[in-house]
Amino acid sequence: MSTARTPARTPAPGTGTGTGRTAEVVVTGLGTALTGVAGPAELGPGARGGHGGAGDPVDRLTGRGLRYKDRATKLGMVAAREALAAAGLTGADGALTVPGASVGCVVSTNFGNVDTVCETVATIARGTYLGTSPMMLPATSSNVVASWIAITHGLRGANLTLCNGPTSGLDAVRWGALLIAAGRVERVLVVGVEPDNPEVRHLLPPDREAFFDGAAALVLESAGSAAARGVRPLAGVGPYARRARHADAVVAVRAGDGRDLGLWCVPEHLEGGRGSASALGDGTAGTPVHDLSELLGPSSGALGVLQAVAATAWLSGGAGAAVLATAGTGDEGGDDAAAALLFLPVAAEPYRNESSRAGSASEPVGATP
Amino acid sequence: MSWIVTGTGAVASIGGSVAEIYDSLVAGRSGLAPLRGYDPTRFRAQVAYEIDDRPAPGVDEPLRATRWLERAVAAALADAGLGEDLDGVPVLVGTTLRELRSVELSWRDRIPFDVRDMHFGTMLRRRFGAADTHTVANACSASLYALGLGVDLLELGAADTVVVAGVDTISESTYGLLDRCYPEAPDRVRPFDKARRGMLQGEGAVAVVLRREADGPAPAGRAHVRVRSVAVNCDAHHPSAPEAKNIATVIREAHDRAGIVPADVDLLMLHGTGTPLNDEAELAALGSVFAGVHPSPYMTAIKCMTGHTAGASGLHSLVAAVDVMRQGAVPPILGLDDPVEAVGAFRMVRGTRALRPAEPLRLAQINSFGFGGLNAVAVVESLQGGTS
Repeated sequence: MSTARTPARTPAPGTGTGTGRTAEVVVTGLGTALTGVAGPAELGPGARGGHGGAGDPVDRLTGRGLRYKDRATKLGMVAAREALAAAGLTGADGALTVPGASVGCVVSTNFGNVDTVCETVATIARGTYLGTSPMMLPATSSNVVASWIAITHGLRGANLTLCNGPTSGLDAVRWGALLIAAGRVERVLVVGVEPDNPEVRHLLPPDREAFFDGAAALVLESAGSAAARGVRPLAGVGPYARRARHADAVVAVRAGDGRDLGLWCVPEHLEGGRGSASALGDGTAGTPVHDLSELLGPSSGALGVLQAVAATAWLSGGAGAAVLATAGTGDEGGDDAAAALLFLPVAAEPYRNESSRAGSASEPVGATP
Repeated sequence: MSWIVTGTGAVASIGGSVAEIYDSLVAGRSGLAPLRGYDPTRFRAQVAYEIDDRPAPGVDEPLRATRWLERAVAAALADAGLGEDLDGVPVLVGTTLRELRSVELSWRDRIPFDVRDMHFGTMLRRRFGAADTHTVANACSASLYALGLGVDLLELGAADTVVVAGVDTISESTYGLLDRCYPEAPDRVRPFDKARRGMLQGEGAVAVVLRREADGPAPAGRAHVRVRSVAVNCDAHHPSAPEAKNIATVIREAHDRAGIVPADVDLLMLHGTGTPLNDEAELAALGSVFAGVHPSPYMTAIKCMTGHTAGASGLHSLVAAVDVMRQGAVPPILGLDDPVEAVGAFRMVRGTRALRPAEPLRLAQINSFGFGGLNAVAVVESLQGGTS
């Protein structure tokens, strides 16, 4: 498959279909913390869970200070460490290879600290505030995962936590790209994580049968930064939109990039059925569907990041078409909105001379200069 | 590039509107009161800065934060003359605790709660038709962090108008754990005083409508203040204790982005939580950045009257700064009777009444710091008397 280079201007990543400065954002590293999944490659289409990665992924963490970290934090730390290493942002000694202030962190989680909050209020109800442990205070704040990841790796750039419902993971990828496009940081670690525990199950619909427990992570980077470090971009981050209707979100991102779609990573299933693809079909006709909720269980705020990892794993294998990821079903499925984000192929070999045409604004996002 | 705040709305324990909150601040009226929604026998601390809107004394209900956010956004839109249709307008909501108080009530008391209300997009869609909504859980600097994201959207051309908001309620888990952490129960928030015992939470919401200055204000024609810069960073140091060095870094970045020097700052809205850790780190950072600036900017800290409104607190301070500069009256830091040594010659407003400096207040810096070492600092400029 060849990459269709459209004459249309490619919008800045993460800036929707609006105008704006062009800043190429690429993916340079992936990580996972999923029971039964050995690594990012197993998230691609055709993969089946249960091949590898035996055991609880958080067992990969060792050292002091784990006792008072919640499960979401530990899962996020495992995926984060793997993605940073894969991107070459940490060396053999685990230390950052770039200045800490140049690296941001964006975490998506809807249920990350629900266990701490519920356990604490139940403890107080059984006795008084004296029954609580002061060590749990940081985990009552929903940014605790991003906090510990930043501390662990010395990430001093902008640090965000998105708790934005079904679209949250894709929103996190977009905000990561936007922080780079805005020049606040050169790289962003994006993590999506959700834990499984009784407190989370209490909040979910009573008919829910499958439960997700895990994390995924990726490193976003300006194309210039990746080139300067000599790191191969695995995929490019394309246009993003969050709309009331799923179909409108898809139309909005596809208007910004004319490439064929090679894969569609679909939202969590619509309530009461598994027919999400056909029910949400506008603008995606005939595109092969990749359903990570089917593979791993409904992953809420982690889904968009899992989709980004799956899309990148597929694109880095040389696929020439774009990947559409959508999360949240919008009006069609009863969510407040739907988010859509395109992931784009990057040249597998050194970029050809087309880019030497001065002033060309048609380079695909993520093409190395 | 610069941006303007073209609509504001707010609620807090000391007032149901921006004007009421400002009137309380300059009058030295605090929102401190005995606990209204929790069983007080479970706690050593007995007071907080709550909004008095519960159905009955001691009876709590879900979705109070969502309700305040709705009010603040509606007020900001009305102030901007925008109507209530936010289709296509990004709405960024900074919060520490989201609707986790509702989660507590659901888990402990089995009070029904729809999981879709854990993020504020559900209400924002229903009430305002907003679909590009983002709940940013960035601890106690969340709303000022969100302001940074808002100016980025405008600068990148991804939007022409952005609503930035903040909201927080008190959750019982945080109230109990804070109680567990302090040696003595705080009786009030008294920033920078030697007798401070710690922080007490406050409730509230705040929203602003933001546009590029070059594009002009929203239909009502109001330009409340010019946003010159928003700087953000992360300590990567400790989950709850702030780091003075990195706070100094983010303040310097805010000044650099605004193209100002420390001596240009007329008014400093301090983070000022009344915890020893915050006060020491904030004063150390200011001592470093403002070394040699005499006299210092006028300084105040509104948490002594609003309580720590957490994710809303940064924008609460910013909205207060608008009226402080406009009216020329700087609210006092209640309870600042015996300042810690590091206050030195800083011109913190003391007593129980507002100070009215003779000179105009044109440039304000707003500090906001949160758990996880999340720091956000904004520089805003008065629009009275034309452009600089």
